[in-house]
Amino acid sequence: MRKTTFCTGLAMAAAMAWTVPALADETCMSPYIAKIQGIEDYVYVWTLGVEGMGDEQDKLVTIDTNPESKTYGQVVSVLSVGGRNEAHHSGLSDDRHYLWAGGLDSSKIFVFDIHSNPRQPQLHKVITDFVEKTGGMVGPHTFYALPGRMMITALSNNVDHGGRTGVAEYNNDGEFVASHWMPTDEDLRGAVKTGQHADGYGYDLRVKAESNVMLTSSFTGWSNYMMDFGQMLQDSTAMQRFGNTMVVWDMHARKPLKVLDVPGAPLEIRCAWGEDNRYCFTTTALTSQVWLLYEDEAGEWHGKAVADVGVPSEIPLPVDISITADDTGLWINTFMDGKTRFFDISDPHAPKQVFEEVIGSQVNMVSQSWDGDRVYFSSSLLNNWDKTGDADEQYVKLYHWDGEKLAHQWTVDFYAEQLGRSHQMRFGAYALYGKRPDADAKVAMAE
Amino acid sequence: MHNPARMRFRTLAVTLAVTSFCAVVYAETSGELDTPEEFDTSHTQGPGDVKEGYESRDYETRSRSLLKRRGVKKDLIRFAQNPPLGLPPVPIPAENPLTRAKIDLGRKLFFDRRLSINDTFACATCHIPEQGFTNNEMRTAVGVEGRSVLRNSPTLYNVAYLTRLFLDGREISLENQIWQPMTSHNEMAAPSIGWIINKIRRMRDYDGLFEKAFDGEEPNILTVGQALASYQRTLLAANSPFDRWYFGNQTNAVDESVKRGFGVFSGKGQCIVCHTMQKEHALFTDEKFHNTGLGYMISFSKGSKDAPKTTRVQLAPGVFVDVSNEKIEAVSQQKLPNDLGLYRVTENPNDRWRFRTQSLRNVELTAPYMHNGKFDTLREVIDFYDQGGIPNELLSPFISPLNLSEQEKQDLEAFLLSLTGSTVPEIVADAFAAPIGDLSLEDPNWAHEETLGY
Repeated sequence: MRKTTFCTGLAMAAAMAWTVPALADETCMSPYIAKIQGIEDYVYVWTLGVEGMGDEQDKLVTIDTNPESKTYGQVVSVLSVGGRNEAHHSGLSDDRHYLWAGGLDSSKIFVFDIHSNPRQPQLHKVITDFVEKTGGMVGPHTFYALPGRMMITALSNNVDHGGRTGVAEYNNDGEFVASHWMPTDEDLRGAVKTGQHADGYGYDLRVKAESNVMLTSSFTGWSNYMMDFGQMLQDSTAMQRFGNTMVVWDMHARKPLKVLDVPGAPLEIRCAWGEDNRYCFTTTALTSQVWLLYEDEAGEWHGKAVADVGVPSEIPLPVDISITADDTGLWINTFMDGKTRFFDISDPHAPKQVFEEVIGSQVNMVSQSWDGDRVYFSSSLLNNWDKTGDADEQYVKLYHWDGEKLAHQWTVDFYAEQLGRSHQMRFGAYALYGKRPDADAKVAMAE
Repeated sequence: MHNPARMRFRTLAVTLAVTSFCAVVYAETSGELDTPEEFDTSHTQGPGDVKEGYESRDYETRSRSLLKRRGVKKDLIRFAQNPPLGLPPVPIPAENPLTRAKIDLGRKLFFDRRLSINDTFACATCHIPEQGFTNNEMRTAVGVEGRSVLRNSPTLYNVAYLTRLFLDGREISLENQIWQPMTSHNEMAAPSIGWIINKIRRMRDYDGLFEKAFDGEEPNILTVGQALASYQRTLLAANSPFDRWYFGNQTNAVDESVKRGFGVFSGKGQCIVCHTMQKEHALFTDEKFHNTGLGYMISFSKGSKDAPKTTRVQLAPGVFVDVSNEKIEAVSQQKLPNDLGLYRVTENPNDRWRFRTQSLRNVELTAPYMHNGKFDTLREVIDFYDQGGIPNELLSPFISPLNLSEQEKQDLEAFLLSLTGSTVPEIVADAFAAPIGDLSLEDPNWAHEETLGY
């Protein structure tokens, strides 16, 4: 039998912190949302359409991940949404009934119903007026649930398509609530500029609820993330427009407190799960470093570089990261060499790489199950940043991890199936909704 | 604060102006802001994301707040009616007389992102007001879905005078020109002219605006072009320090370096041969096509055995690495044709790599420079011409090594920096006041109640 359990909400999550030895989310999501602690039934892959391939548009691809199912490791649903929106990241609502997925180019947000039929998601709502409602934010990126809310970081703006931007707040009905602009030198919004930078850029968002802290990182604006990667690397003007900051916010008040210098485009943020582990990690995409963001005994937050990823001068380009449930390990993918690396972070101030393996010619996202036994990888970084020719592999791969080595289980080739470029992965499970597999899935599992 | 009565007076003065009162009119249209205290002019010149000094580890941000980027609507028609000092009368097509209603409508269209296929791109996305109506943040432009464009976005200042539009001269009027960027696959990517017209007709915030501006006419292939052209004809940036010295006889309007630089420009530097001047005014362009060798070099450098094997790439303030071009090639998806300039229009082999001379007015605001944004600074441009461009069989006969001294180069740069129009803050302030057309629930879209009607 599959073993799937779930819990919901802050109170329950907080209560379980003392009772469950390894409380964690399966892929480093908000502590406020329901979790899959057993085997996931599906992985939902937010996929970029490619000109000249299939129906050429973005789509949500559902892959069966239940090893007892007949269609295990196969695509079981494809839902096209219209347009090439620069499909990028997605996030689950706090009740995990809906998956919000954004387009960095069109700024459209597609809200999928994944609870009515987890095997076959439906398009529930399209939010088309994100730019207008937020007052000019462009490129919705991270979707991060807080109770009754969806926090959405943006990457750019409608004025100059540069990196100055903000965080939008929506309610669970998909209605706009508020805009929280990133602090700039001209308007620090009450924050303290602790170093040389207050660029106003944005990227990821995570919370360390025990500290009432929300952290944001910084990437680059539309002009760069939509530009051909090779063209951009040769454009010294464009290369000056990457983020060098992280911002520490008062989570409840949504007020920026401190702007920290983190040079070289800090991207994904992953916070430790242990109640007393008051720290988070990020990696800098351009300078290839692991940074620790940590709270000192006085309650002040700081940032410092604690490790290199590969050889920084070769620009391995760290992209997605994933922290283990027990806060002892951190997966770090590097796009350019197609490798995943596993760092021992038992001492968060001195991470050490203990494992590496090439996943493909290029690799971007990594998502692990809550128990860390299963690790999924996908390939696409950005539509105009992916590699060319034969190196443009597009896939989702599942590996099993025993703590020492990865064992490949299956690959879904997204080009062979005419799907497009595979980006972010989120998990689904029937048990989250007190359901059992529907008729189709039962048939699939019967044999 | 804004003073409507004062504005009306100025407008009236302009309207009544005749040639014999030119000096008086000039005083009213010299580009001084009506009420400079109305807004913070620090936002009007240069990107709000200031990167000066980024090469150094000591770089500190001086980022401006987007929320404080606010403007004031101005009466730009007076610039066209009585151009700022240094500019000739504005040619206005008889079939498209300039009116305030057309200018206002053209401005609204100019900032409307909904005119692109996916509601993401306006004219102003590449022609950013505070960035000299060009884009200071990239060398060559990027269009819808990140599609690469061959050239650097040209400034729109003083575009009213051009009779050959685009750097290869393929269009002959502003009214015609507007359709190409809107329908080009790698710019705004609207599927057709009819698609744009249909969409405008279905956007409720345009109700009545065309009819008011065009004597009852709806949006159509003529009126859309005429409105956009009308707005662009008012982007007249002159009355620069140089103009006030040279044409206005204000001895102290520029310093001695500028005056010496003008001597280099018109003498030893031979710049004036292509960047021409007239007795009463100057556009600083002959509107002709010249081969400087830059396009030739770019076309033949690809794959050359002598080409550099690495590219210097900046990763953070003060942090650089040399990246192998092989690695860069591995992530270069978009393969563009070589840019052969005028040849693309004529197919005459003698026209290879010839590009229209660009005006020097307001060059302080329009970096990076040249048709492909090759150079970040004016000094690099000066050095390029000082060395005589790039030799090739079609090199313009007007280009040869200049042997300028360091002092002459500095003076020439000072002269170029003196060409920034005093009307710029007012034009940009007006642009900031324009609403940016972003998709709302009232607009036609397949996901809305109101659709495009197909």
